Amino acid sequence: MVLGTKLGVLDPTVQPIPAHAVVAERPTTLDGKVVGLLANGKMNSEELLAAVSDVLADSYSFRTVVTRNKGNASRPCPAPIIEEMAKECDVIITASGD
Amino acid sequence: MTGANLTSTVLEFDDESEIAEEYLRRGWTDGLPITPPTPDRVRACLAVGGRSPSDIVGTEPTKGRVITAEKVAVNTVMAGCLPEYFPVVVTAVEAMCAPEFNLHAITASTMGAAVLTVVSGPIAKELEINSGVGVFGPGHRANSTIGRAIRLIIINATGSASGEIDKATLGHPGKFSWCMAEADEVSPWPPMHVDRGFDAGDSTVSIFAGLSGTQVANHHAQAPEEILVSFRDAMFAVGPTQKELIAVLCPEHIGNIRAAGWSKSQVQQFLFETSQRSDADWRAAGEVVPASPDGSSRMVPVASEPDNVTILVAGGAAGAFSSIIPLWGGGAGSQSVTKRIQ
Repeated sequence: MVLGTKLGVLDPTVQPIPAHAVVAERPTTLDGKVVGLLANGKMNSEELLAAVSDVLADSYSFRTVVTRNKGNASRPCPAPIIEEMAKECDVIITASGD
Repeated sequence: MTGANLTSTVLEFDDESEIAEEYLRRGWTDGLPITPPTPDRVRACLAVGGRSPSDIVGTEPTKGRVITAEKVAVNTVMAGCLPEYFPVVVTAVEAMCAPEFNLHAITASTMGAAVLTVVSGPIAKELEINSGVGVFGPGHRANSTIGRAIRLIIINATGSASGEIDKATLGHPGKFSWCMAEADEVSPWPPMHVDRGFDAGDSTVSIFAGLSGTQVANHHAQAPEEILVSFRDAMFAVGPTQKELIAVLCPEHIGNIRAAGWSKSQVQQFLFETSQRSDADWRAAGEVVPASPDGSSRMVPVASEPDNVTILVAGGAAGAFSSIIPLWGGGAGSQSVTKRIQ
């Protein structure tokens, strides 16, 4: 398309979907909270999360810890695990081991 | 004319030579110059495909990006395609958006898969998609530009640009472009799309999350059993319990196998039975294969089932060079998809 002396060409990209998600309220402390640990299924992801949990436990007294493993790093987390953890946990920590 | 209402942002340039440089600078290419996607060229693609610009070709399942016919056409033009190739590219995008193909993972993973596109049926001949000499190489416009269009769509429509979402450790040259047809005229067997339930008269596009292939050379053997042991050896490098992998048989190899009267399923059965190792041998080769609870040895195949080996016939008439092509994630994390061209 010639616009005057200009040549017009088209943008080939599809933009990312704008994030409409609402960010959950951040707790001011982990004391008394249910902490979820969600491993991504790769080797050492559970060990990494356990180490993170141990470090945090030095500073906070959790009500309890919920550990889950999504099983396959190359697939989205199964919906039942997300729903269960969203219902049970105050915070969720995830890690990508390898 | 179909495609009157294009909605993509228009960029303006004083000189055509500036366009490729600016598209490169913006990360919108594969590193090679592009054909400027003018509205007229984009409309020509849409007209051949009978598509309106806003038609939704597919939605990328993980990131949710909606890919319209207009965006497919823009990238098709950029790749250097003739407008007649557009329906093939559209069908490839439809196939890539099938959830079982797991497009996001295969284009993000360090494993570095390309999209191997196999065009079957009458359209392959109509568009002169090469199935013969140098089938994976340059010099054939349809192969080069259709495969390139698919890569540009992955970059521009799904955001899997190298070093951004695409974290391939090595990748391989098929990520620039990888499109082929089957050499039906030399194959003694029905083409792949017929195996998959389509009619021979249907034109289809099949996509595979292809890793780099291993060349299989065997110049001396004539009996199928003696030829196929070379394939077996290449399969061992792929690893155990594959849900799918590809064996591309060249005309010289297929000529001997045809002369012996073997069926495709006989070839698959032979490869299944011979490409087996003990669990201990797999572990010694660095593979994660659990030991039996009682410690007894067991044989573990490369292909979990005989028909997990997808057979394709292609290549030049001279030379005894075939190929074994592994698929991403052991053929389990991404399933190949075949769709009919509308």
